[in-house]
Amino acid sequence: MTGVRARLSRQHLIRTLGLWGATALVGLFVLGPILWMVDSSLQGENELLSRPSHILPVNPSFDNYNYIFTGEIPRSFAVRGAIRSRISQEARQIPQALENSVIVALGVTLINLLLGSLAAYSFARIRFRGKGLTFNFLLGSRLLPAMAIAIPYYTIINGLGQLDTYTALIVVYLTFTLPFTVWFLREYFLLLPKETEDAALIDGCNRFQTLVHIVLPLAAPAMVAAGAFAFMASYNEFLFALLLTQTINSQTLPVIIASVAVNPDASFALISVSVVLAMVPPLLFAIGIRRYLTRGLVGAIGHA
Amino acid sequence: MAGQVRRRAAPGQASSHRERTYAYLTLLPALLIVAGFTVYPLVYSVYLSLHREILTDPLNHPFTGLTNYAQVLGSYYLVSSTLSTIIFAALAVPAVLAFGLAVALLLNQSFAGSAFLRVVILLPWAMPAVISGIVWRWIFNGDYGVLNNLLSSLGIIHQYIPWLSTPATARAGLVVAQVWREGPLAAIFLLAALQTIPRELYSAAKVDGGGGWSAFRHVTLPMLRPTLSIVLIYETIVAVVTFDLVYVMTGGGPGDATSLISWYAYTEVFKFVNLGHGAALAFLIAAALVVVILIYLRALRSEELY
Repeated sequence: MTGVRARLSRQHLIRTLGLWGATALVGLFVLGPILWMVDSSLQGENELLSRPSHILPVNPSFDNYNYIFTGEIPRSFAVRGAIRSRISQEARQIPQALENSVIVALGVTLINLLLGSLAAYSFARIRFRGKGLTFNFLLGSRLLPAMAIAIPYYTIINGLGQLDTYTALIVVYLTFTLPFTVWFLREYFLLLPKETEDAALIDGCNRFQTLVHIVLPLAAPAMVAAGAFAFMASYNEFLFALLLTQTINSQTLPVIIASVAVNPDASFALISVSVVLAMVPPLLFAIGIRRYLTRGLVGAIGHA
Repeated sequence: MAGQVRRRAAPGQASSHRERTYAYLTLLPALLIVAGFTVYPLVYSVYLSLHREILTDPLNHPFTGLTNYAQVLGSYYLVSSTLSTIIFAALAVPAVLAFGLAVALLLNQSFAGSAFLRVVILLPWAMPAVISGIVWRWIFNGDYGVLNNLLSSLGIIHQYIPWLSTPATARAGLVVAQVWREGPLAAIFLLAALQTIPRELYSAAKVDGGGGWSAFRHVTLPMLRPTLSIVLIYETIVAVVTFDLVYVMTGGGPGDATSLISWYAYTEVFKFVNLGHGAALAFLIAAALVVVILIYLRALRSEELY
């Protein structure tokens, strides 16, 4: 009897050790690069460029952050005059780019959820002519390769006089995200019990009121998940942002960061700061929505 | 009978017309936006691919039929970039799937660590691909990178390795960055699918004498199959159209070791401003992708029959 228990507890111990070992490995792989960027952003340029480089900062400071927000040149750059050229002036545009990115991504998310939920609910519950055709058209539109439509997009946006504007980016990202949102929300709406909606309709609610008062509260996890996908897709998009923006009036974060980083003479410290700042909005977003995300996905996938 | 009652309960014929109008009105905005940015670009792109369109020679664009397609198909870069893309996808897609599955199984265990990982795992997915590329480029940096530093202080290497300037390691580096960036989404999707597997199936497997591996083989894998297929197809598409990572990590180099096919399309359009070639190439890539997906679907279906 005790032997069995001892074996069970040893098995339990091995299982626990294995699970925590695996967690540590995955955690290190996933978090390590992020922590290393945070670490680098607190080091001076001269520290980063020493060999061997320091894994932990010797004199951690916020000088690099200070430079981005106030323009005060970090002390570490004064240590060796020769590396002054490594100060990347463009990095000072990061706060503005961050603002542009968040405005565009939030704009896309809100309009996306508004238009997406309206369309998805009609697709889910109303029978009308052309339903299959329009639905397949929406989904099929995503099959167009980005490189093929890049030039035409430029021509259209240029023709509308909307180059270098938030509007251009928002409309383009809506085109990319709406099909997914409509499909995803429709799947979820189909899962909801129809009886409550029918009751509301009999009580004299019209479809729109039923959607707003009955369906949307029930579909909150799916709305959050769909909104998250739209936000991330817009916040992360690079190719079209590169193509359709020209100045810091609308240039988004990926564009500015890429232009700082691909410069061979870029300052590693300032790149690190830029990357850390760029991670803040998605980080807040990911933490805020994590509960809903899996629940919303479970709903839609469980059905599929 | 029950059906008739339902139909009476639902809004009758009279409001049906109004409902249909409502349906069209609600679809209109989404459809207009998507159609406006689908139909015209498609037509225009087809037009470009059938004409000589080089921006450095703006006044000369005759109709050339399929010449652009022929030229692209016959170019040295198509062969080398297709090869690079196949190597990249053949390494990255299985790696992403394996990582996703392993992490999903881990996250599905109830212990404190999984709660922690569930939050952390979202981070790489949540950030722009451009950023992941920059992060990994800095880690792989040959002179000051932390990877060289760690490996040499552990005594594993004696000399710093210029990871991204050597073809083989540059390719491997790109794959690592891709797994870091795409693995989490695969894990979340597979986790969501794992959570829909009814517990009873596992109890049944246990009664039948099937423990850990056998339960995984006969319950988990078959139940995950639809989601695994979706993730497989999605990740293949992502691998083939990977562009941002290449842009910031390697710029297609060293030489053309990491010039993936999308990078080739990008350089045709934006460096050589040969819009005709770029459009033709984009359609060829799309066609190749469709073929790959069809092969996948067929393979997955025939296995299901068994």
